[in-house]
Amino acid sequence: MGRKTEITNLLANLPRLGAGLAYREPFRDELLQKQSEVDFVEIIGDHYLDAPPERMDELVLLGEHFTLIPHFTNLSLGSAEEIDPVYVEKITSLIKRLSPPWWSEHIGYTRAGGMTLGHPAPLPFTKESVDVMTRNIVTVRRAIATPLILENICSPLLWPGAELAEPAFISEVLTSGGCGLLLDVTNLLTHATNLGGSPEDFLAELPLDRVVQVHFSGGHETNGRLVESHAQPVSEAVWKLLDAVVARAPVRCICLERDDNFPPLPEVLWQVERARAIGRQHRRWN
Amino acid sequence: MELALQQKLVARLATDREFREKFFADPAGVAASEGLTVAAESFAQIHPEQVRQLARVLRRRRLAVVGIHLPLTRKALGERFADLFRNYAVSPPPGKQPFEDALGFAAFLEQHAAEKGLDPQWAPSIARYEAAELEATWLRRRLLVRCFPHAIKQLAALLTAGEVPPGSYQRSTTAVWWRTAASSRLKHWLG
Ligand SMILES: [Fe+2]
Repeated sequence: MGRKTEITNLLANLPRLGAGLAYREPFRDELLQKQSEVDFVEIIGDHYLDAPPERMDELVLLGEHFTLIPHFTNLSLGSAEEIDPVYVEKITSLIKRLSPPWWSEHIGYTRAGGMTLGHPAPLPFTKESVDVMTRNIVTVRRAIATPLILENICSPLLWPGAELAEPAFISEVLTSGGCGLLLDVTNLLTHATNLGGSPEDFLAELPLDRVVQVHFSGGHETNGRLVESHAQPVSEAVWKLLDAVVARAPVRCICLERDDNFPPLPEVLWQVERARAIGRQHRRWN
Repeated sequence: MELALQQKLVARLATDREFREKFFADPAGVAASEGLTVAAESFAQIHPEQVRQLARVLRRRRLAVVGIHLPLTRKALGERFADLFRNYAVSPPPGKQPFEDALGFAAFLEQHAAEKGLDPQWAPSIARYEAAELEATWLRRRLLVRCFPHAIKQLAALLTAGEVPPGSYQRSTTAVWWRTAASSRLKHWLG
């Protein structure tokens, strides 16, 4: 299958969702009352694995009000050791239960030598890492037919011995795994800036025709470094980058992430509305 | 499987402070002792500041997740929550699930309070209360009973509403969590 056909197939049936929010517990009650202002909700899938019944009630309630997109962290697709078959089984059953239009993970690893990091660590940008990611993606896709999209991470560490530039590495992984891109524009801005590069240059090298979903969030600066804390209002630099991405990529949805320092919900929803307007302006949805 | 060993090494460098310092005293030597062969030399070039930054990034994410699991404790301790977390998170997160890190930190706070004291005095009780709730919820306890020397109900209400005015808040409290079956909803009584 040619690259163009493969991407067309991947994106052909994915719905245009609009602008939504990553679900966090402090928003729960208010969010249910503001259903019309949120086009979809992203949930952290890991929070509902092995979850007690009262926790699953929350998921049922959210599912009654919103399209849910599960986002996972601990599958560890970049792990050179075997991916955990028990974890795969658990996420398979959660995804089946939610039947979302797609689901997401990261380009990185969270498990190694018995440790679970809880947040993705970077991979060396080598052919071997591409092969590892591909092998694990193939394993997972055998169990889960729902399209998989992968998120770019933000990391201050560059492994020694890179054989590829990072955007080329991301591109190779997505192509060989047949995955869409979850482009986190705040990660991109933070990552490229902290490494002394230009976010626009990085963006120009990415396979933008694979972007299905966009993450954006606020951060702050400390000791001359950007931090993607997900705890501040979205900066103008992020809005600008978001606009540039939505203008060029076939984005199906834009998702705001807010993890800390929670403001009243209307302040968050105002940012969701601004993102929705950007999508509308670039004719990604009505 | 050299890459698996390299990933393990990077994971340890990013989460284990003692190991990190030992590594940077002799990168090639430690890399070799961890089983790395072809990459031992190239790992000697890994940038210490980049590794420390990665450790900071991972610790901040752990802190955010633990804060979500212990919201009242976090409010009770204010900025010291993050300071104390920094002292706790010098080794890899225990377990595979997010709540396990919160349980680990709550246990650390209790030990810290016993050895060095913690202000306000009722803060360790709040941490222990939230840890018990996590245990009852995630470990699906059928019955869990805990006693506290402080007025948990009143403190929880004050913390949720905003500030807790100065005071001792000493009062013995019993908390009970139960499920009629492992598959039934958790019930809670606080007296
Ligand atoms: Fe993200």
